Amino acid sequence: MKHYFHGGIHPADGTDKLLSNQKPIRIYRPKIVEISMKQSPGSVCEAIVKKGDRVSRGDLIGEPKRFGGANIHASISGMVIDVRIDSVSFSQDIEIVVIEADDKEEPEYPTGDYEERLLDLSDYSKDMIIAKMKDGGLTGLGGAGFPTYIKYETKEKISHVLINAAECEPYLTCDHMLMLEHSYAIINGVLLLVKASGAEKALICLEDNKQDAAQVMERIISDKDLPIEIKILPTRYPQGGERQLVEATLGMEVPAGQLPASIGVIINNVGTAKALADIVLGDRPLISRLVTVTGKVKDQGNYLVPIGTRYSELIGASGGFTADISRVIEGGPMTGTCLQIGGSHEELTGSISKVTSGLLVLEDEQKDETPCIRCGECERVCPAGLAPFKIDFAAIENDISLCDKLYATECISCGCCSYVCPAKRELAYRITEAKKEIFKLRWESNK
Amino acid sequence: MKLKVGKELHEVGPHIEINRTSKVIMQDVVIAMIPALLGSIYFFGINSLILVLAAVTTCVLSEYIWQKIRKEQLTVSDWSAVVTGMLIAFNVPSTTPIWAVMIASVFAIIIVKQFYGGIGSNFANPALMGRALLLFLWPASISNYVTSYHAGTDAISSATVLGLYRTGNEITQFSKWDMFIGNIPGCLGETSALLLLIGFAYLCYRRVVNLATTGAYILTVLIMTFVFSQDGLFQGDILTNLLSGGLILGACFMMTDYASVAPRVKVTLAIIAGLVTAGIRIWGMLPEGVSYGILVANCLSGLIETIIRPHIYGVKIKKQK
Repeated sequence: MKHYFHGGIHPADGTDKLLSNQKPIRIYRPKIVEISMKQSPGSVCEAIVKKGDRVSRGDLIGEPKRFGGANIHASISGMVIDVRIDSVSFSQDIEIVVIEADDKEEPEYPTGDYEERLLDLSDYSKDMIIAKMKDGGLTGLGGAGFPTYIKYETKEKISHVLINAAECEPYLTCDHMLMLEHSYAIINGVLLLVKASGAEKALICLEDNKQDAAQVMERIISDKDLPIEIKILPTRYPQGGERQLVEATLGMEVPAGQLPASIGVIINNVGTAKALADIVLGDRPLISRLVTVTGKVKDQGNYLVPIGTRYSELIGASGGFTADISRVIEGGPMTGTCLQIGGSHEELTGSISKVTSGLLVLEDEQKDETPCIRCGECERVCPAGLAPFKIDFAAIENDISLCDKLYATECISCGCCSYVCPAKRELAYRITEAKKEIFKLRWESNK
Repeated sequence: MKLKVGKELHEVGPHIEINRTSKVIMQDVVIAMIPALLGSIYFFGINSLILVLAAVTTCVLSEYIWQKIRKEQLTVSDWSAVVTGMLIAFNVPSTTPIWAVMIASVFAIIIVKQFYGGIGSNFANPALMGRALLLFLWPASISNYVTSYHAGTDAISSATVLGLYRTGNEITQFSKWDMFIGNIPGCLGETSALLLLIGFAYLCYRRVVNLATTGAYILTVLIMTFVFSQDGLFQGDILTNLLSGGLILGACFMMTDYASVAPRVKVTLAIIAGLVTAGIRIWGMLPEGVSYGILVANCLSGLIETIIRPHIYGVKIKKQK
């Protein structure tokens, strides 16, 4: 039976992905990496190296301060030339470990068997795989960066593992290229995820603009009696939203305020599956990731970079900006964060983290908010079924309890409402702020 | 809660947006009304154009002056006042005195629109409220319908086709084809089904409106008037009901108004408007009920929205499996 998720949009025009699509993965080796001890929202690590230490690639350099974090490893071999406090970060003190590479060229990791054929994984037990996830610092590579082992330590009975390969954000193509070039590693990784979860089946979910990738993987799993199914979904944003993917593939809704595990589903990004294969079968922790560098840069492409590669260097390697006034975005254009407006790429601060799926440069455009005309487009496209324009009014009036009554907490911050708004209102921003405020108040009242 | 305002908002996402603004939408509506405007000039003479220009100018000026006096954000450049002005003129016959149209325009913009907070906040359709005002205060001013110049003779006073139908007359002087192209007495923008539908098709193509609301409204009126006709059950004249009054104008351009019809429940509201319209046409005192039908739906908008709850993802879902 065919299912669809509610709402959604067709952002951009589909040509955005062509900029970097089908461009083979390029390896970029920086001389210096700046590894932040905060790799994903909500998990801060403590640096266990100090200035002057020598580290090898793969060494543990950061350990989580509290539950809910993931280990951080050195992504290149060399000297730790500085451990400094990140000045631009929000409220906490976040350390940044700066490593300068040794002079000699570091060899690539050897290509393992798991990149070329399906391996016999019967020696690997659930606990072993989960332990390796933890040691290897595996987090979700899709965007939220939730430590993967926590998902698999659930007490719930898991029936399905969904592999999120929708890559519904415009412009981004790194998952697509990953599937074309590392299909065996992905399938091996998916089989490991199935073992770790005890699920009956894994569904690899792609949008129909990635038919070639689907065929490549279909060829691998055909007549092998594997617990894997390739699921092709119509292209629509935000297909790759965790809750939307469950709705679109299984026709079920994840109850509000609960994790997908509560209905027996675990969702992982396709990049996470590949990284798990690297950790378990290739014996290397999560120290690099694929990043799509695209938009208004000279040479768009998909780069394999060590975690901690500086943004400025990577944009420089792509030939720099071509826009008059450029807006640099980390992530996709819908949910990504704005790093800088105007200026040159040398002025960019910050570095690639485990969740950086793209660096996007757009031409900056001025826009002004005008009054809402109540066209109802935001309500029509909202995948959560909210009325964004009403929550927007309540948020402006600072009426938090009304925001709560209008279910602002169920917003998934996909940005569809702001995208379609003809009055150019910043709906998604204000609803997200209201949502944070509601959770803050609830947390305070529970204290 | 501390929110970014003004320039600071510039950096929040999403970083791409649809290539459409409120102004473009309003301009599309104006474009969609141009065929019917040209038709009215052809059928009723230059008076139509004068009334439209008077209404539009008054609307735009009153919005501008009001916002200047109140030192509000100037939104007059968004073309919504032009739409209101055109609709006011479309809803009166060509013989209406200019002063009446101007009063209706001032009332629509200042009292119905700006008093409630300007664009997007009006509880009812401003143009219809303007018409309702005239109907209450100076009913004579907008009741002088004339046959069109192209009916063969000079313009002569005539009841509307719907009025004739209502009083049980056999409609002989106007063919169905005349009704379709608009060669009948009536308000200046409502007579030509053909030209209105051309405009409506353009709006659908531009995705400003969709068929559902308009379709639900028209269908409800037609089914009701067919079933409960004055000639007995299932005896109604569908084509006369469809083509002769303001049904198509109302369904295409006023039932689809954004602000006064809650978008989530617009089809339900269209059905309610259809029931009221048909009720007035069948049992009411007036021959025509489109404007009151839509105004009633406008007033019920908030209530219906409260009754029909939206489905929020993950909230109150049935137990699965």
